Amino acid sequence: MDARTEGIERGRPRDHGHPEPRRRPSGEPPALPHELGRSGKFFLLLVLYFIIVITAFLVFPSLESVFERWDHTRQLWVTDLRTPGLTRVMLVINGLTSSWTIRVIRWSVILALVVFRRWRHLFVFLGALIVTEIVAYNASSIIARPRPLGIPILTGWQGYSMPSRPMASVAVSAVGAMYALIVAGKPRSIAKWVIGIILVILGFARVYLGVDHATDVVMGAVFGVAVGVASFRLFAPNDLFPVSYQRGKAAHLDVGGRRGEAIVTAIRDQLGLAVLDVKPVGLEASGGSTPLRIKIEATDEEPERYVFAKLYAKSHVRADRWYKLGRTILYGALEDEKPFQSVRRFVEYEDYTLRLLHDLGIPVPRPYGIVEITPEREYMIVMEFFEGAVEIGDADIDDGVIDQGLGMVRRMWDEGLAHRDVKPANLMVRDGELKVIDVFFVQVRPSPWRQAVDLANMMLVLALRSDAERVYAHALTYFSEDEIAEAFAAARGVASPTQLRNHLKQDGRDLLAEFRRMAPEREQVSIQRWSLRRVLLTIGVLFAAFFAMGLVISNWNAFA
Amino acid sequence: MRCQRSIGRVGAVALVLSALASCSARAGDATEANCPIEEGELFVLMAQSVPSATLIPCIEALPAGWTYGGSDVSNALARFWLDSDRGGLHAVEVSLTASCRITGAVDITNSTSEGGVRVYLDEFDLHPFSANKYFVFPGGCVTYRYRFGADAEATLALEADEAVTFGLRTVLVRQVRDELGLTLCGAGAPPCLNGD
Repeated sequence: MDARTEGIERGRPRDHGHPEPRRRPSGEPPALPHELGRSGKFFLLLVLYFIIVITAFLVFPSLESVFERWDHTRQLWVTDLRTPGLTRVMLVINGLTSSWTIRVIRWSVILALVVFRRWRHLFVFLGALIVTEIVAYNASSIIARPRPLGIPILTGWQGYSMPSRPMASVAVSAVGAMYALIVAGKPRSIAKWVIGIILVILGFARVYLGVDHATDVVMGAVFGVAVGVASFRLFAPNDLFPVSYQRGKAAHLDVGGRRGEAIVTAIRDQLGLAVLDVKPVGLEASGGSTPLRIKIEATDEEPERYVFAKLYAKSHVRADRWYKLGRTILYGALEDEKPFQSVRRFVEYEDYTLRLLHDLGIPVPRPYGIVEITPEREYMIVMEFFEGAVEIGDADIDDGVIDQGLGMVRRMWDEGLAHRDVKPANLMVRDGELKVIDVFFVQVRPSPWRQAVDLANMMLVLALRSDAERVYAHALTYFSEDEIAEAFAAARGVASPTQLRNHLKQDGRDLLAEFRRMAPEREQVSIQRWSLRRVLLTIGVLFAAFFAMGLVISNWNAFA
Repeated sequence: MRCQRSIGRVGAVALVLSALASCSARAGDATEANCPIEEGELFVLMAQSVPSATLIPCIEALPAGWTYGGSDVSNALARFWLDSDRGGLHAVEVSLTASCRITGAVDITNSTSEGGVRVYLDEFDLHPFSANKYFVFPGGCVTYRYRFGADAEATLALEADEAVTFGLRTVLVRQVRDELGLTLCGAGAPPCLNGD
């Protein structure tokens, strides 16, 4: 093995000072392998076990007697321990499954979520409760297993025994409360253990009292936990909707621990850059990804420097999908593109737009490429970090910057592009040079309306740090009066990003009206676009909402 | 005078009801409360609900226009109900309990009553038709609770009565023993272990 090969093999710095990119051989795990923990595997095995048992019952009813006798023998091991004193203790413990206890837990969580205005968690919690109640009830009716036979039942019960509905109710309520109210990390880990111990004790009490079979208890608990965990992981993932009791903390992936190590390894192996430090940056302005500032080791060619990276996970793709669904229903064809189907496509698209704009000479960060953290689950796009640049909202604006901003829009128009997210947070100024960042929303061959909105938003951003007359005068160098009139006829309400609208409100001047006064008269462009897709989507969502409401009402006894 | 008329009316309707209680079965919808009781898991659960009851109610056959509404079984109370296209939803509810409060109810037991079953009637009203009918037997009580819609005729109660009958708990005890090798604790079964 020569020196060159050795460097490649180990990913170590070679003679020019930075590690050589290294191809991951077949069979070698990725930087951050997606794997279930021990508890996850155990849990999955239990779910599989119950699916097999229920299927076997339904297909081969004669198996029931074998299963019943087996379960009965296990139950006798527990009921043989019965003593008057222990029975009293078990009755007290079993009180946790009383409808009043469960109501108190559920209403407390609902109240807390309303107080903290955590609406998404509230809806996910309610959904998890309803799903658990409905599925557990129907499953018990289909399985139709009587209460334990051959032993006296020492406490109250209702309905068939498998799965144990009280166990499922307690499990989903406790797990839901944990995900909705307890901060991720150590507190949540402790809560998981506490819930686990409570469920075990509760299950033992119910088997002891003869009200449930052991398998009913396990099945109920597994089902309740599964619904709780799956609901929150799918619809309120901690990465995007973290539970936090500090104001202004945005939702992002944790870049410490195993993920942090994986980022370092992946960047070294895939881009040949030696990472010294990874730090989240600008979290407040970013909801669609986790932005990172990464310090790179100096090489013979370049000094120690920073690169900027955006970490994307599946949860971001889901959030993007919901966002686009909402926009389509509210405005029709305002966002005239389809949602992404995978996180890989997500990051590939941003890499493409970044390279496209860079190739066209538009001042975007230099792209370094895509880094795979976990295949099909987490990717990172790495680009140049504009060190020393300040957001345009905090920068001094001169005629040069105004011209650069307007020229940039003109160039995009000429190339058949639209940025679609022109706002102060995405425009940076460094040494009098305007830079544009976050090109994820860039669209090729957009609608003329989209391009017009870009112009209006750019003029508004520039006017925020100068004045409307000055920006308008410069704009006439790049655009005709009719084009400017079209821009301000198109820029209405939600056509401008929220951050820009907030800045305009804070500014006090009615810049939009000033621009409209200067531009020729033009009829307003409606932002509402109607299509069959929009109508069907709206009907579908309304139907789903009514259906959900109906479910809540018909299952009101789950809460009241 | 009004009281006498009322009692007379109750007696007349009760006689009709009890006389027709043993009418022949008609074809009807299958339900989980269908007789024979050894074919339904629901009855094992009902027997567990009231272990002392020696009889378990079930549906022999639903007359045309009647459908099985649903069931709700818990410890000490098991019930199912029937819906009618004329009597409305939940027109008749049949419940099994260990005992009933029959104070003030009229005894309408007829001479053909078997197995020590005594029949009582109370809360009788014709417009709209409503009544409670109690079947009291060793270890249990079955209540038929009629609550018809405003336009339904009282004779609809005859159809409901025709649909419901009783099965013996001992049949279930034997079935559980034969099929599962286990004991259905309660009346007609050997004593269960691990009692408190």
